[in-house]
Amino acid sequence: MSQHIAETRNSCALHGALQLIDAIRGVVPVIHSNAGCGMQHFLGINRQGNNSGPYGSPPVSSSNISEKHVVFGGSSRLREQLKNTVKVVDGELYFIVTGCSTEMVGDDIPAMAKEGREQSFPVIYANTPGFRGDVHHGYQLALKALVEQLPGLEGEKRSKKERRVNVFGILPGQDPFWRGNLEELGRLLEGIGLEVNLLPGEELGVEAWRRVPEASLNIAVSAWGEPAAKLLDERYGTPSLFLEALPVGHAAGNLLRSLAELFRLDAEKSDRFIAAEDTRLRRRLAELSDLYFQAGLQQSFALVGESAAVAGIAEFLTGTLGLLPGLLAVTDPLPEDTSETLMQSLSGYQDEFGAQVVFSEDSARIADAIIESKAGIVLGSEFERPAAEELDAVFLPVSFPLGRKVVIERGYAGYRGASAFLEDLFSARLSGKT
Amino acid sequence: MNDKRGKHIAIYGKGGIGKSTTTSNISAALAEAGYRVIQVGCDPKSDSTTILRGGNDLPTVLDTLREQSKVRIEDISAVGFGGVLCIEAGGPVPGVGCAGRGINAAVELLHDLKVFEEHKPDFVLYDVLGDVVCGGFAVPIRDGIAERAFVVTSSDFMAVFAANNLFKAINKYAPSGGARLGGVIANSIQANYSRPLIDDFASHAGVPVVGYVPRSMVVAQSELYGKTVIEAYPDSEQAGVYRKLASCIDANSESVIPRPLNGPELKKWARTWGDRIFQAESGVVQHMESI
Repeated sequence: MSQHIAETRNSCALHGALQLIDAIRGVVPVIHSNAGCGMQHFLGINRQGNNSGPYGSPPVSSSNISEKHVVFGGSSRLREQLKNTVKVVDGELYFIVTGCSTEMVGDDIPAMAKEGREQSFPVIYANTPGFRGDVHHGYQLALKALVEQLPGLEGEKRSKKERRVNVFGILPGQDPFWRGNLEELGRLLEGIGLEVNLLPGEELGVEAWRRVPEASLNIAVSAWGEPAAKLLDERYGTPSLFLEALPVGHAAGNLLRSLAELFRLDAEKSDRFIAAEDTRLRRRLAELSDLYFQAGLQQSFALVGESAAVAGIAEFLTGTLGLLPGLLAVTDPLPEDTSETLMQSLSGYQDEFGAQVVFSEDSARIADAIIESKAGIVLGSEFERPAAEELDAVFLPVSFPLGRKVVIERGYAGYRGASAFLEDLFSARLSGKT
Repeated sequence: MNDKRGKHIAIYGKGGIGKSTTTSNISAALAEAGYRVIQVGCDPKSDSTTILRGGNDLPTVLDTLREQSKVRIEDISAVGFGGVLCIEAGGPVPGVGCAGRGINAAVELLHDLKVFEEHKPDFVLYDVLGDVVCGGFAVPIRDGIAERAFVVTSSDFMAVFAANNLFKAINKYAPSGGARLGGVIANSIQANYSRPLIDDFASHAGVPVVGYVPRSMVVAQSELYGKTVIEAYPDSEQAGVYRKLASCIDANSESVIPRPLNGPELKKWARTWGDRIFQAESGVVQHMESI
C-alpha cells in the first residue's frame, strides 16, 4: 500500500551539498540547474534554520537553465555562469553542484570544472541531482568531492601530523547545533592534547579541507561520515573512529579517555582535564537537583531527530538525568549498512525501558507515536510542537527545523553542550508547558 | 475528409531502415492523390523531409526556437513536392542535450502555433526515430497527438527488435488514449526469407502487415536526385508500390494494440528463423515451407 509522508524534514542531495558548502568560508557555490533549486534551498534550510550562508541566499550563483539548455545541452550555460561568477565573487574555491534536469541531460560537468581550472580558477564539482538521494547523501557527495578534488588543486604533498585529528559527519543545518557541537568536540580534543581539524571549521575555511590528508585519525560523527572516512582510509591510510552517537555530558569523557589511550597521550594531563570537566558538570547537576524535583522533571520523554543526536541525547536524558524514554524517533533514513552498535544502542531503550523506537521521516506518523507515548517532555523539531501541545507536555526544540528558536553558537555535544542542554530543558519546563 | 484535424499518423522504425524515404514517398503519394499533407520529422538528424523539398535548407523548429523567442509557421516550414508542408523538429548535436525533450518541445510548439488548425491538413505524418529510447520519443504516440502508428522494418533482427520496442511503447500508451498500431510496413524486401520472416513476426505480435516495399535501385537513384520516387520516376513499379501503400493507409483506418514479444520469446523466435534460413541456404528442403 502506498503511504504519504507529511512534512518531511529531509530535503534533496543538492541541498545537502549546498548546506555544507555554505558552511565553509571562502567557498562559492555555483548551481547548475533550474532557478527553483537554489530558491528551494533558501526557502528550506535557510529560512527554516534561521540562517544563511555568505553566498547561499537568493543571490546565489545559478545557471538557471531553461528548455533550450535541456534540449541542446547546458554545458555552455554553465561555462558562462562560471566565467561571470569569478568576475563578481572573489572566492577561494568555486564549487559546482548540479540539479536533476542537468544530470538527466548529462551535461559534462567535470569538463567545465577542468576548463575553469585551466584558466587558473580553483573549481571543483559534485554531481548532486536530487534523485540520487536526500540531504544526507548530498552532504556525503560534497564531502567526497572536497576530499577527492582539493588535493589536486595544489602542488605540495601534505605529510601526516602525529596528533592531528579530522572531525566530520555533522551536517550543517540538518543539525541546527552543528557549529556548537563541532567546536565543543574540538575544545575537548584539544584539551587532552590533540590537534583538531574541524570540518567545516570556523577559522580556517578552505584551508581546513586542504589539511585533511595531514590527519592521523578521522573521527566520523553519525552514520553520514562513514563513506568519507572509508575514502580517507583508502587514499591516505588514515584510520577512523566512528561515533554513532553525539557524546553528550559524561559520554564525552569516555571518548576522551579512549582517544588518550589510542594516541598514548600524557595520561596525567588528559586525566586531569577530563576530571575537571566531569566535576564541573556534576556540580552543575547538583545545583539543579532541587529544581529537578520541584519542577517534577522526572518524566517520560519523546525524542525526535537525527540518529546521532537521538542516540546522544537519549543517553544523557536516561543515564544522567534519570528520565524515562517513551519514544525515540529517528528521522534520517539510515543507510542499510548502518553499524550494529547504533541499532543495538537504540533497541536497548526498547528492551530495557519499553520505549517505542520509530524510524520514519513522516511527521504525521511521528506525531501519532508521540501522542501514544503520553510523554511529559517532547524534544523534537517544530513539526512536533502540535503533538506536544496536545499532550500538554514540555516542549524543547532540538532538531531541524527549529522554528521559533535561533541558534548560532549553541551546541549540545560534550560537557558544555550538556550544560546548555540542561539550561534549555529546565527553562522550557519553567517557562510554561509549551 | 470531414475531420478538421486530419489524420495524424506516426511512422517509426530503426535508424537507417528507410523510414524517412518511405514516409516521404507516402506523403508524396497522398499529396498526388489530392490530399493536404504535413510531414513532421522527429529526429535530431533533421533529414526526414529532404527528398520532398529537393534537398534545400530548412531551419528546424528547435534551432529557430533557440534563436528567436517568437516563432512563426513560415520560419519553420517549407512547401515541398505536391504542396506537402515540411517541418523538421530538429534537436541537439550527437552527444549533448536531450533529443527526447526536444521532440516534446517541438510538438508542443506546433500545437501552440496552431499549425494544424491553420493548414487544415488531411494527413499529418510524424517520422520518428524508432528505438523509442526514452519518453520523449514516445510523445507522438501519446494521447492527443497521433491516433495511429506504423512501423517500418526490414528482415534484419535489429530492425525487428526496434519494431518490437515500439510495440511495447504502444502497448503502454494505447489503453490511456494513445496511438494504436496501424500495421507493419515491410521494407527492403530482397532475400527470399524477408517477407515470410516479417509476416511471421507480425503474426506473433498480432499485427497486420500493410505493405511490402521491395529493395529497388529506383529509390537510391531518386534520393541521389533529392526527390521522392513519386516525383522522380512516377511511372516506375516502385512508385506504384508507394501509391498502394498510401491508399491502404488512407482507406483502412483499422488499428490494433500489439502484443510485443518479451526478451526470451524474441530470442527464441529469432533462433528458429536462424535455423530456417541456414537450412534453406544449405539446401535442406522442408515440407510446405516457402523458403
